[in-house]
Amino acid sequence: MIPNIAVLEIQNPHFRMPRLWIPLILLWIPLALLLLLLSPVLFIVVCAISIANGVGPLRVVRIFWDILSSLRGTDVRVTSNGSKVLVRIM
Amino acid sequence: MNENRRQILEMLAAGKITADEADRLLAALEPEPVATANFTGNIAGSKGWSANDSSTTVKTHAKYLRVLVESTEKNGPTTVNVRVPMQLLRAGVRLASLIPQQAHDQLDETLSKHGVPLTLSQIKPENLEELIDHLGDLTVDVDAKEEKAKVRVFCE
Repeated sequence: MIPNIAVLEIQNPHFRMPRLWIPLILLWIPLALLLLLLSPVLFIVVCAISIANGVGPLRVVRIFWDILSSLRGTDVRVTSNGSKVLVRIM
Repeated sequence: MNENRRQILEMLAAGKITADEADRLLAALEPEPVATANFTGNIAGSKGWSANDSSTTVKTHAKYLRVLVESTEKNGPTTVNVRVPMQLLRAGVRLASLIPQQAHDQLDETLSKHGVPLTLSQIKPENLEELIDHLGDLTVDVDAKEEKAKVRVFCE
């Protein structure tokens, strides 16, 4: 299942951003529309990749979908020199 | 209800086994993480129920790869805490199968020029998936006291 929410927080000594809870549906819908618009180009790209590698076009799409779906649970926290970055994908 | 559990309870109800024996048999059926549960022996009154049915090996698969870095620098402490789903690693490995063969050959050539005797074209996606499956057993602990840095890599 594709991620639904991203949590983002950035702080440094001069700037403090409140923790943002971003519903990723706001990203997926425009992205889906964009993919729809670019579908002829994407179709050619997918076919080219599948021909070059001998891999079926559905498998190519499946691989990219698997990468997107498996982003859930990613958690990155970096703290350094008074700065803090937090990215969570849920 | 599991068939083996039903048989145990029926034997208990029929008085063929005692409550203690039933409890031991039920416990043997419970899956244990990273352990093999085996029950061998004869049960008075049992009719051919195989003890081998109770042997189970269950290994919990790690879900995340965790990287923890702590270091103390001149400007202050630095900590990095990264958690990556294992599924993402597996999906990334499958992405490697989309690299064209010509690119593999160029990479092999470049690596050999830099003294790295690695042939990427011989590494199959299934080898990489097997490698990721075994990452669950990996633990790396580095404690560099002089550099005041600690690195931990493990799966959870």
